[in-house]
Amino acid sequence: MTTVSAAVTVSASGLTLRYGATRALDDVSLRLGRGVTGLLGPNGAGKTTLLRVLATSVPAASGAFTVLGHDPASAHGRQEVRRALGYLPQTPGFHPDFTPFEFVDYVAILKELTDRAARHREVRRVLDEVGLAEVRGKRIKKLSGGMRQRVALAAALVGDPGFLVLDEPTVGLDPEQRMRFRELIAQAGEGRTVLLSTHQTEDVAMLCHRVLVMAGGRVRFDGTPAELAARAAGRVWRSTARDPGAKAGWRTGTGGYRNVGDPPEGADLLEPTLEDGYLLTLDGDRGDRGDRGDRGDHGDRAEATA
Amino acid sequence: MTATALTQQAAPAVARSGPRNSWAAVLALAAFEARRLLLRLPVLLAFALHVTWIVWRTLQPRDDYPVLQDADRATQGGPLLVGLAVLLCANRAVLRSTRRDTERHFAVLTLGVWRRTAAHALSVVPLALLTAVAVTAQFTWEALKSGAVGRGSVAELLTGPLAVLLFGAVGVLLARLVTSAVAAPLLVVVFLLLFVGGAFPSSGQETGAVWLDPVVTTAGAHPYPSDLLGRPAGWHALYLAGLALTAALLAVLVSGGRRSRAVQAAFAGALTLAVLGGVVQTGGVPARTVEARVRASVAPEKEQRCVRRGQVRYCAFSEWLPRVAGWARVADRVQALAGGPARGRDLLVRQRVDVRGGLLDDAALAPSTRPGQVTVGTSWGGNRVPEFSTAVAGVLVAGDEKAASVVCDGRMVTVMWLSLAWQSDPESALRGVRLDDSLTGSAIVVSRTEPLLMTAGQTKVVRALFDRPFYGVAARVKAHWAELTTPGVTTVRAAELLGVRASVGADRCAR
Repeated sequence: MTTVSAAVTVSASGLTLRYGATRALDDVSLRLGRGVTGLLGPNGAGKTTLLRVLATSVPAASGAFTVLGHDPASAHGRQEVRRALGYLPQTPGFHPDFTPFEFVDYVAILKELTDRAARHREVRRVLDEVGLAEVRGKRIKKLSGGMRQRVALAAALVGDPGFLVLDEPTVGLDPEQRMRFRELIAQAGEGRTVLLSTHQTEDVAMLCHRVLVMAGGRVRFDGTPAELAARAAGRVWRSTARDPGAKAGWRTGTGGYRNVGDPPEGADLLEPTLEDGYLLTLDGDRGDRGDRGDRGDHGDRAEATA
Repeated sequence: MTATALTQQAAPAVARSGPRNSWAAVLALAAFEARRLLLRLPVLLAFALHVTWIVWRTLQPRDDYPVLQDADRATQGGPLLVGLAVLLCANRAVLRSTRRDTERHFAVLTLGVWRRTAAHALSVVPLALLTAVAVTAQFTWEALKSGAVGRGSVAELLTGPLAVLLFGAVGVLLARLVTSAVAAPLLVVVFLLLFVGGAFPSSGQETGAVWLDPVVTTAGAHPYPSDLLGRPAGWHALYLAGLALTAALLAVLVSGGRRSRAVQAAFAGALTLAVLGGVVQTGGVPARTVEARVRASVAPEKEQRCVRRGQVRYCAFSEWLPRVAGWARVADRVQALAGGPARGRDLLVRQRVDVRGGLLDDAALAPSTRPGQVTVGTSWGGNRVPEFSTAVAGVLVAGDEKAASVVCDGRMVTVMWLSLAWQSDPESALRGVRLDDSLTGSAIVVSRTEPLLMTAGQTKVVRALFDRPFYGVAARVKAHWAELTTPGVTTVRAAELLGVRASVGADRCAR
């Protein structure tokens, strides 16, 4: 077992939430420290629900959590959690007639930064930080999608929150914008706790010191990106044709096939990636839900997070 | 597989931004929203129109010198337009986060929805203050005009700004009750239709339900002393303030503030104020005011102060005493033209009103039967000047107002010449004093008491006299005063005595 020497900033246990018959969160427990933690999972895995619960947007039906030592179960505690929170929702809304400065200033006021001069300094700081200093006086409706996303990140960063919740911030960005965003998130992760929900395994590989994989409302994996990739060690191989026994396989640019699953005897094994580990984890989860097999890992994780 | 464990140790929150305070944040947000409200096009347009209206109205040449207890009320109409614009824009500002889907984000920020609602309601206050500045400027401008008399009421001046506050609060409340962006424009259209269509109870009423309107600009038939107005302006201001607070606090309550006891208590207090003000203001004219109106109408001498200027004693309600100089200039000029005993006769100019039938009653005053007494009204300037000089001339010629009101002979020529000949443009003054603004034919001569009648012949003679040298006619008036003022003297004879040949034919009064 690896011990990460970091203070616990966010701690949750037994978080459960149903939407009708669907268990959006099913007994989720986790502990986060400083740095960027990635949250991977397919659509409907419960990622956004978990983020919304941790952001105090929706209350969990059962379970508890604390952020920076504050328990949101009480009104006072919830207020303290919100004071420590920076939240970038999945599809952030904007006030198109506002300038980036006005929008972030508005959010800063809603975060109770009341000293006008200090607040304006802070707004300028975060706009500089996300690279929007040049366009801070331009109407948001005239900005590109990437710039708008940076406005949303600036709004999340304003007030220097200790806990940053980012829900798929790189969706819809072109590769250059995504790279720029990764730099910003990495920078934001210095000295604070960042929980980053994403579909992009590259984001996790490049940014996160830790990754959680969710499926079916549960945490299926909790470890480092290297550990997730290591799950696929010895289970990725190359072949000249798609291996019918592979769980997944695709033709690569070199003309050969990359297969993931249980390799045949003497297969030409490849170095696994984080994505391979993620696919196998999800595949294990499907098997788990189907024949309830492959319980060992989950048991491991449950023990680790208890 | 490997597992990760984290050491159990709470980390401190990063606190770069210093201490935080929810109510300070509410005020900061209110300032932010107020700045945006002030820059909204409808609000800018409404303010521009309001200011333009004030400047246009104030610079327009007007017949009457300002009476400040009426001028304060005249400030109330313009702010309605500003109020409607504020209603629209405040409503839109509250709906912004719903329309732009930022509510999901803002909901997890520290400042809760009800505090944001409170900030929106407070954001209207600077606009109400700006309206107050415009209203004060309008009133001050009137007060500084020469000839201004009377005193304004702070409560009347507050009505416009409070109406803006009320409309803004209604806009905020509406947004919290109905999330449709169409609701506020619809409400504004309905309001305008009701207002333009006269469906508000304010038309032609002085008391009762009319006071439930945001503003009550019903003007009296004439200016009246402040003590006789009986307008519950203070209660109305309280009613408007209570309503504005009620709407604002209701908006706060429905957006989640119902758990705050302070908000609940404030709402109850505001509602009480609104109901109290609403009930008291609709109770009609207080008995004390009714009694004062009767006293001022029946026995004004008990309510007035008098000053003597030369041969004339002027008695007026104290607010009009600054007008004595203006009246004296006219009375002295007229009396100086008279001949015989009238030239040195003691006159009493008495200011009179009849407000027993209410402020809107425009009935003519009964002419005085007291010898030498001339009635002067509460308006001054424009045509009121030749009206007064005609009244003075009538008393000098006929002896008293009652007798002057039935003059139907050649004396009318003398009356009108005395009244108008000394003025800078006698023909224009003649036109102004005649009800139909005519310069030919017979006409009614307007008076604060009973109107006088000029026949076509008398009109012809008077106009002919205006064409003659002033001092020549003045000498003839003095020389023939006794005959000119003898009852029954014909118009033809009067014309002869004054040196005018006029073909007047059969010249009869058609009373």
